[in-house]
Amino acid sequence: MIEARELTRRYGSVLAVDRVSFDVHPGQVVGLLGPNGAGKTTILKALTGYHYPQEGSARIGGFDIVAEPVEAKRRLGYLPENAPAYGVLTVDEYLRFVGAARGLSRAERRAAMELVAGLCGLSSVWFRPISELSKGFQQRVGLAQALVHDPEVVILDEPTSGLDPNQIREVRRIVEDLGRTRTVLLSTHILSEVEAVCDRVLILDAGRIVASGTAAQIASQLHRGTVVAVSLGRPLQPGEREALARLGEITADRTDGDATTLRVVLGEDRDTGDVFDWAVAHGVRLKAVVPERDSLEELFSRLTGGSP
Amino acid sequence: MRGCLAVVRKELLSYFNSPVAYVVIVSFLVFTSVWFFLIHDFFAADIASLRRYYGIMPLVFVVLIPALTMRMWAEERTAGTDEILLTLPVSEMSLVLGKYLAALSLVLVAILLTVFVPLSVRQLGQFERGEIHGQYIGLTLLAFAGTALGGLFSSVSRNQISAFVLTALLLLFFTLAAELNVALQLPAGPAAVLRFLSFEHRFRNLNRGVLDTRDLTFFAGITVAALSLTAVSLVARKQR
Repeated sequence: MIEARELTRRYGSVLAVDRVSFDVHPGQVVGLLGPNGAGKTTILKALTGYHYPQEGSARIGGFDIVAEPVEAKRRLGYLPENAPAYGVLTVDEYLRFVGAARGLSRAERRAAMELVAGLCGLSSVWFRPISELSKGFQQRVGLAQALVHDPEVVILDEPTSGLDPNQIREVRRIVEDLGRTRTVLLSTHILSEVEAVCDRVLILDAGRIVASGTAAQIASQLHRGTVVAVSLGRPLQPGEREALARLGEITADRTDGDATTLRVVLGEDRDTGDVFDWAVAHGVRLKAVVPERDSLEELFSRLTGGSP
Repeated sequence: MRGCLAVVRKELLSYFNSPVAYVVIVSFLVFTSVWFFLIHDFFAADIASLRRYYGIMPLVFVVLIPALTMRMWAEERTAGTDEILLTLPVSEMSLVLGKYLAALSLVLVAILLTVFVPLSVRQLGQFERGEIHGQYIGLTLLAFAGTALGGLFSSVSRNQISAFVLTALLLLFFTLAAELNVALQLPAGPAAVLRFLSFEHRFRNLNRGVLDTRDLTFFAGITVAALSLTAVSLVARKQR
């Protein structure tokens, strides 16, 4: 497991991380979410022993990262931001090096190579120099490197950056698999990623945790009501519009030929059912009523000081 | 230990997967041979001595060693791979030793390849074996200390160019300290310090085939100090 206690780090006079504490337990995937520069990478670097926190402490699998770095790091797999790797080495040479440096015996290494080659889909590029690989493959090499020694704790810094949608789905599948048995902490600034793979989210702003919990919990903390997109096959009459406005606030109204789409933020005690009732009452033929799930996004921008 | 060996292997692969190591070593051999056979005209001089061949080596090392050591840490930092290296379960000293041993073995390979010169001319006259052995011991000691210094400067430099320049300048200073002494006409105190630091001075003893424990201690001391400081600099960087 990962235990962070009062982590604080300054770069010169800039306070990058301010007394951050959290735990990640085995069988959990936790997402560190925040805008660029919020301190995500700084926290991950402190957890992995790349640099030391000025105050506070971090433990990996029960070992303090500063006092017992070798024991702590043995239990850790880390994918740094942008997946740096030795470009002149082939995938095979690189992963063998990482395996050996992490203490795998020759036989264990052979088994591990086959495992990660399959898991990360690297067989087709196994003997090519890493510098010749596409960004997507380089990212997968980085992931393979983090998993080669079957670590208890996996820390991933923006694991899906630079990948295409298919590759993103692949990486998420791997992360979900890992999360069943391992302790996984990942950072991202992509909200859908957090909703897709994380059991719990820590939202970070200016070096502090401003919210934590499941995506649904956080969303309900600042719930402003369900948002629905209502589509119908003709323009809305003023009377119908008034009635709809009684259900909630109409924040957008787009007419495209015959089709009209309205975005309605429903009031506190309203739900999607009320929209159907309204349609029946006014004889409006609905084409679609789609609940929007961007409440986390709005929440995120409000928590981190952006405009909603 | 296993971590250290893994680093040695990885470093050697990195050196030989790119043309840099080959280019540097071949240029070294070509330059020293041209210097000795063509510029110094060994055959015309008609003296069965390789002192001029080995005499130029310390000066050539001023370029050879930084060329092979400048990338050691600076390249990792620019490529971001130090994040991989420093988060491995391997102590800083093992990392330093691993990189050092790999770079050192390259310099030693370069030195080893020069034996073709004495081998090819040995039929031509009575060369002093003891002298040649002494010269190899001297070059090896120089390689030990120089490579350790190169590694240190690579770890404290922002990029490879400054690592190269700083290492070359320091090696040049060590190599020419004796000449500086003569040129500057320093008073006794500073002059003694310069003589103490002079590679050339120590190398001259070995060149004559004289192996002194003081010279050994000197080179060993520089090596150990530079390696320890490199490890210290890696830890210090984590606290910044």
